[in-house]
Amino acid sequence: MLLACASLTADARPYVNDKKAPENRKDLEVIQSALAAALPKARAATVCIELDEGSGSGVIVSEDGLVLTAAHVSTGVNKKVTVILEDGTRHQARTLGLVADTDAAMIRITDEGRYPFVEIDRENGTRLGDWVFSLGHSGGFDRNRGSVVRLGRLVRVANTTFQSDCILIGGDSGGPLFDLTGKLAGIHSRVGQQLQVNMHVPMSVFLENWDGLLKGEFIGEGPFAKKPVKGGGFLGLATEARPGGGLRVTKVGNKSPAQEAGVKEGDVLRSLNGTKLESREQLRNLLKEMCAGDELALELERAGTRKTLTFELGER
Amino acid sequence: MNADLLKLILAGSLVTALPGQQSLESDFRTTGPAVVAAFEAQRAVLQTSSAVILYGRSEIGYGVVISADGHILAKASELGGARRLSLTVDRTNHKDVKILATDPEWDVALLKIEAAGLVPVVYAPTSDVPQGTWVVANGASTRTTRRALAGIVSAKPREIPAAGGAALGVVLSSKTSALEIEDVNENSGAREAGLQKGDVILSIGGMAVKNIEDIAEALKNRKAGGSVSVTCRRGKRVISVEVRLSAKSEMFTDTMNRNDMMSGKFSKRRSGFPRVIQHDILGSSEITGGPLLDLEGRCIGMNIARANRAESFAIPVEELAPLAGRLMKQAAGAAAHDKQPENAAATPPDEPK
Repeated sequence: MLLACASLTADARPYVNDKKAPENRKDLEVIQSALAAALPKARAATVCIELDEGSGSGVIVSEDGLVLTAAHVSTGVNKKVTVILEDGTRHQARTLGLVADTDAAMIRITDEGRYPFVEIDRENGTRLGDWVFSLGHSGGFDRNRGSVVRLGRLVRVANTTFQSDCILIGGDSGGPLFDLTGKLAGIHSRVGQQLQVNMHVPMSVFLENWDGLLKGEFIGEGPFAKKPVKGGGFLGLATEARPGGGLRVTKVGNKSPAQEAGVKEGDVLRSLNGTKLESREQLRNLLKEMCAGDELALELERAGTRKTLTFELGER
Repeated sequence: MNADLLKLILAGSLVTALPGQQSLESDFRTTGPAVVAAFEAQRAVLQTSSAVILYGRSEIGYGVVISADGHILAKASELGGARRLSLTVDRTNHKDVKILATDPEWDVALLKIEAAGLVPVVYAPTSDVPQGTWVVANGASTRTTRRALAGIVSAKPREIPAAGGAALGVVLSSKTSALEIEDVNENSGAREAGLQKGDVILSIGGMAVKNIEDIAEALKNRKAGGSVSVTCRRGKRVISVEVRLSAKSEMFTDTMNRNDMMSGKFSKRRSGFPRVIQHDILGSSEITGGPLLDLEGRCIGMNIARANRAESFAIPVEELAPLAGRLMKQAAGAAAHDKQPENAAATPPDEPK
């Protein structure tokens, strides 16, 4: 109980937030020292998220490696991504759920470990006019530079969106917006042409959808992530049934996911995700149940040796 | 990393029409007058110790006043031709602006006006301040009044390597196997050194070159702003000149990436600096060049580039102070040598003009 009280005092809302504007040197120094105190922990938990098609940012919110980011960064459910910590260490991770209409998403670092993390603002305590700071790996990970910090105020508050004047740019998306006590207030989402228009997803959106995010659900339909369509996946090969069982590959599409994974003409496909392959129709039906971006394990036989290729279905 | 694919949605309709929204009046936003008013002490320093550089009536840059008798540092590549420049310090406009010396590596020019009793900036003992420290710089100015903008130190001080690597600024002919110059870029060191169409490059930095790969190898570890000796065959003569190197992306049309496209204006020269401080003061235009002040009003650096919508670079005071000293010495030396043309050093010895 005593401990809880002590930490409450340390996290006390700085009085400058309740002034319309800082008035003097002391007010400015209060902002500066609060920021300086919160920054090391905030920065340690801020990560770069690398995907095949680019990079965004995110922030670790639990010791075992739960990461919050934007839906348009994670782009889908159960995808493999790489998370890079401030010191450059890289970790395997997998996307969990996302909210497509408000741009919220969750990722889990799959490498076991104890990770630096930040506390979430669970009380919706960030108010209009509060001083906030943003972190993000602008333009991608740069070890010599580190993540970039910018200061601003919360200038617009709506149900599912914050706007601040912390200026954002490509690569910052998914990165954290903090209040001056170092609590996570929002996740960077999008910008307007004007420098003042920088939008974030408030923590309330994450908290309302927490269980679904954790379970890996694709929530909502919206502009920030495209719902995968069953049967929309693309493998890129043609086969024929083979007397001895399995399917012989007769053709591999140029630059197709199959080709990039290493499938070659003449290979014999033995199983897909553990299901033994017998006919072309069966393969077609299995693929019909899958979506673009889904991972598949394809067991094949080449010159007498069997091996399994693991890769993702492409978009049709 | 493919920068085109970096994640950030450029919101159009998504920005407006939010349900149940509250909004902070613009006066109280970070760049608003009510907030900026808290920086009056630092603004007063900008009033007397920064300069506004004008081309005709438009602002093209800011400057750092470094002597009582009118020496001012500014971003060299934004000055264009030296003619028709004027500059304002405090409330006085000076029309007699001379460019005494420039440093291509840092892209800094030493300007001189006829003046007395100016208030030079006070250098801070160090620029090594923690990230998140307040800094203040010039914002859009009126004829008589300097405006301040405030922000924070945003990232680790570091080198910004020349985008696209260091280059001479020549286009080579594809018609011959020899390294024959087809075109010389207008803003390049090659042009300054007098290289011409038809010259055939034989060696760079003492290394014989036979193909493009050799050139890349010869320039690989060199930096924009530095220079390299280039030997060419011109007709029957063999000439050697010293060529200033520039960032490739700044001489040839830069392909804009997505971050550039969402950035509005940015400095033409924004890379190839040995070390910078990064901060988040971003005015509405690309104009740069004034002092970067701490809360004490001391100069911790000089703004040198608006790299994009979110990143400003400044030369740290540790490098700025000696650079100012070198430029002053260079200017004094040039004056002592009596009226040599300002770019004498860049004229190749075998090409008297």
